[in-house]
Amino acid sequence: MDMQSTSSNDANAYGYPPRIWQLFQQAPRAGRFEPGTPGVVAGKAGTPAARSVLSLEMRFEQGRVIDARFRAYGCPSSIAVGAWIAQWSQGREPAELAALSAAHLRAELEIPEDRAHCALMGEDALRDLLANIKT
Amino acid sequence: MNKLSNTPVYHTPIYLDYAATTPLDPRVLEAMLPLLIEDGLHANPASSHGPGFRARAAVEKARAQVAALIRAEPTEIIWTSGATESNNLAIKGALEFRGAVQAHVITSRIEHKCVLDTCRYLETRGVRVTYLKPGAQGLVAPEQVMEALTPDTALVSLMWVNNEIGTVHEIERLAPLLRERGVLLHVDAAQAAGRVNIDLSQVPVDLLSLSAHKAYGPKGIGALFVRRRPRARLAPQMHGGGHEQGMRSGTLAPHQIVGMGAAFEILAREGPTEAVRLSALRERLWSRLQSLPNLHRNGDPDHAAPHVLNVSFEGVEGESLRASLPDLAVSSGSACSSATQEPSYVLRALGRDDELANASLRFSVGRRSTEVEIDTAAERVCRQVARLREISALWD
Repeated sequence: MDMQSTSSNDANAYGYPPRIWQLFQQAPRAGRFEPGTPGVVAGKAGTPAARSVLSLEMRFEQGRVIDARFRAYGCPSSIAVGAWIAQWSQGREPAELAALSAAHLRAELEIPEDRAHCALMGEDALRDLLANIKT
Repeated sequence: MNKLSNTPVYHTPIYLDYAATTPLDPRVLEAMLPLLIEDGLHANPASSHGPGFRARAAVEKARAQVAALIRAEPTEIIWTSGATESNNLAIKGALEFRGAVQAHVITSRIEHKCVLDTCRYLETRGVRVTYLKPGAQGLVAPEQVMEALTPDTALVSLMWVNNEIGTVHEIERLAPLLRERGVLLHVDAAQAAGRVNIDLSQVPVDLLSLSAHKAYGPKGIGALFVRRRPRARLAPQMHGGGHEQGMRSGTLAPHQIVGMGAAFEILAREGPTEAVRLSALRERLWSRLQSLPNLHRNGDPDHAAPHVLNVSFEGVEGESLRASLPDLAVSSGSACSSATQEPSYVLRALGRDDELANASLRFSVGRRSTEVEIDTAAERVCRQVARLREISALWD
């Protein structure tokens, strides 16, 4: 029997919302920039004790995001939030980034009520990053 | 002949949750079927007529089969609905018979929920309970139990094999010490039957709980061993027609009982060989997983049941880990408590912090497990843990 042919590792066995599942599985832009990369600003939110930590890095050039990375420790929703923000931020200015709210994240990713804290963590990490631009 | 046992089949998902429950062995199903068809052994085994006598004979044959596995007398086996009922009957029944006033019970913090919740209930009725903390490897030493005894101690309840981490308690050493002190010993052996040697002709346990569905028998049937010499006395928890020597009323379910008998008869014959094979599979899995750094094996490898391997993975979060493994049927904690999403109380009792307890998987192998399944499962776990660590904000 061909072992690979029976694999259904893409199966969303726990029934996560499709967008969350897709971003969790593919985790685009996971990782971080090489130390010393110019124009990189970082932000972080969450605590290990709450089993959720999100770290964002965005590289700015001429006042716009030209690339972004995220790292997340947490449930699939928190990983999806990090991946979504990293993608969404491309080409945006700080003022646009500042307009992103937890409610917006929840609507985009269909984050259920019991995971609302993942969206808040996304908003907090982004705010932390924006605060670091100003300093 | 079990058509499944000798074929290197690959099941999807790969089932590594035999400690939660086992599939019915086809030979057990074969034994049960005659009791489920029209004009089979359908009669009430308590009825005094030909069909009733035949049903009763089937029940008594099964009683002897169950007794034989643990080297007890058939009259010492009381049918119940499963280990949860057996544990309730043993603990509440013994305390109620003795009288709960000023009674003291000793148990451990890593017992199954049904023992812990029964003890907590007894506390509301005035019983004092000592919950012993296991050592870091998940074992409660007989000396700890003996030190906790008081003049009022009426009962000690300690599991033979832990369901989450597979540690094997030294019941053979503890039982004679308690007998000497005249304290009743109840043992939850739901995970132990057929996996470790149980010889109640030599080990003076007073009450011992058994389950069929952990041993390739049907769900909904179990048994309680109640020693006759010296007599362990219980107040019934189910009142009615006086079945099972008055200890557990209710019409017997012969098809379930025959299934448990057949399952235990197979265990008596094949258990020792199977244990060797399962231990090898467990160690194979552990060895393959060790290609990952920063793992923790929970339990005591020197006192381990053959079927359970519990591992904590640093740097990953438990829910994401489980979601990443849809093709593996494994548990985090016991099936009975993992629905709550709380970190395992057993791993917490061992001193694991919440994060590590949450990022733990219990793998349990069984009769249909193959080396191909173990290798495939290990490869998937390693790949997914590595992926989540790459994503993780806590892993450098």
